[in-house]
Amino acid sequence: MASKPGAATSTYSPKIVARTRPPIFKDSDLDWTRPDGRGFHQCRPALLQTGAVSSASGSAYAEFGNTKVIVSVFGPRESKKAMVYSDVGRLNCNVSYTTFASPSAGQGTDHKEYSSMLHKALEGVIMTETFPKTTVDVFALVLESGGSDLPVVISCASLALVDAGIMMYDLITAVSVSCIGKSLMIDPVTEEEGCEDGSFTMTCMPSRYEITQLTITGEWTTPNINEAMQLCLDACSKLGEIMRDCLKQAASASDE
Amino acid sequence: MGLPDSSQDLSSEMEVDAFRKIFPLRFFERHLSESLRPDGRPLGKARDTIVNLGLVSSADGSALAKIGYTTMLAAIRMEVMTPSTDSPDEGCIAVEFHMPPICSPTVRPGRPADAAPVISKRLLDTISSCNMIDLKELCLVSGKAAWMGYLDIYCLDADGALFDAALLSAVAAFSNLQIPVVALNDNGRIVAITGEEKQDNASITEKEAVNKERRKLTLKNIPFSLTCILHKNYILADPTAEEESIMDTLVTVVLDSSDQIVSFNKSGGNALAHTSAIKSCVELAKKRGNELKQILGEMDVD
Repeated sequence: MASKPGAATSTYSPKIVARTRPPIFKDSDLDWTRPDGRGFHQCRPALLQTGAVSSASGSAYAEFGNTKVIVSVFGPRESKKAMVYSDVGRLNCNVSYTTFASPSAGQGTDHKEYSSMLHKALEGVIMTETFPKTTVDVFALVLESGGSDLPVVISCASLALVDAGIMMYDLITAVSVSCIGKSLMIDPVTEEEGCEDGSFTMTCMPSRYEITQLTITGEWTTPNINEAMQLCLDACSKLGEIMRDCLKQAASASDE
Repeated sequence: MGLPDSSQDLSSEMEVDAFRKIFPLRFFERHLSESLRPDGRPLGKARDTIVNLGLVSSADGSALAKIGYTTMLAAIRMEVMTPSTDSPDEGCIAVEFHMPPICSPTVRPGRPADAAPVISKRLLDTISSCNMIDLKELCLVSGKAAWMGYLDIYCLDADGALFDAALLSAVAAFSNLQIPVVALNDNGRIVAITGEEKQDNASITEKEAVNKERRKLTLKNIPFSLTCILHKNYILADPTAEEESIMDTLVTVVLDSSDQIVSFNKSGGNALAHTSAIKSCVELAKKRGNELKQILGEMDVD
């Protein structure tokens, strides 16, 4: 699946923000090491590649550590359900998992919650007035779940939309942060997500510096939220650059 | 295709792409008369084939097979089960073929593709009837415990010859399969042994390892398949999705390692299969089998 034109592996770790207050306990962060040996503010290497599925209008494959995702975009095409006339296009999203996506196993099923969150994250960025009466379908399949699945699906979906030539205001990038004890961990893996006290997921348009979706769950203190916001914004804009590079490479490869 | 005469007149004036869309059959027949296909292949040649092993870390064995654009990801998970009373010393294999909505514009979420269960069944029949796997090898404790292998194949990109690609990925996944280490504990139940415990030899002897080391299955007889399209006098090997949609008589031949026919399937279609056509399909399948053997053989060396 690797080594195709348009493949790029790079990290998008944010710069470490200086804490406003000195920590009360020295080296308080160091009582915990991450399962994959990363630093707390270090993201997993991101491999992105467009054009993974030939039969789709546009598609992308993303591999962030063990999280592997394929997103296909179909359309704009005729709306299937007999729906009333609409001046603007419709967006239809679906996220599903393979049966072997996680080791605990189970039935590979549609993930309704992620489907609707993907829809909400994307709807603000797509210029739906450019495809009236029709539908754009965004389908994601999580091949392997290794943590931070939804942010990876969202970023990958925005690449697939670009690959399909759907008009958008900006790229969409998403990054999540887990809060465990006093520490914030960016781009958490499954084990970290399992024992987190709170999670923070931000979806933003990196060039416009605007947020399309922000989900905060669990226990958070205001300074932690501020720090998480800074971390996510920085990581999002860096991820945006990586995605832009991936698209440039794919475009120059197709020109040749 | 109701206006064959007008299409002949138009063909000199129209753009190629428009002609291909409006008169697909005529477009293909024009190519076939030159013994060539639109993608530049001769009639009997299959597309480039790639197989990669061990891509899914959460599975016990996995493989990705690509034939042209058609892409299949197969993964096997092993679980311990109680064997049925009819065959107390045999394990079991379950095969499921999935077509998620990402693979083709014709599949929509919530409505599974019609082709998926058909291919599932044919895969299971092929794998069990050619004796590729000795189910006795999957036995742990006779009558008490045996392995259940769940083989899931996901179609990531559907561009024709789905059964061929699915079977190839399944075979490759089985060749990649590593059966996990398990042991019998004091209560007579099977427990998995993880990497750390394995170094502790004492605990293994105490627990009486049933399956002492990670082992591979011996694949006795490997099936290879080739799908062909019959159209008039032409035989097209390894069709793309476009070719399958235009010409609907498909013949699938499955041969085993010693070129014996495992299964032959022609499901309807307009064209009748003459004996000579069937013979040439089998010949093509033999050639293709040798190609695939080479591709799989190269992987084993690595």
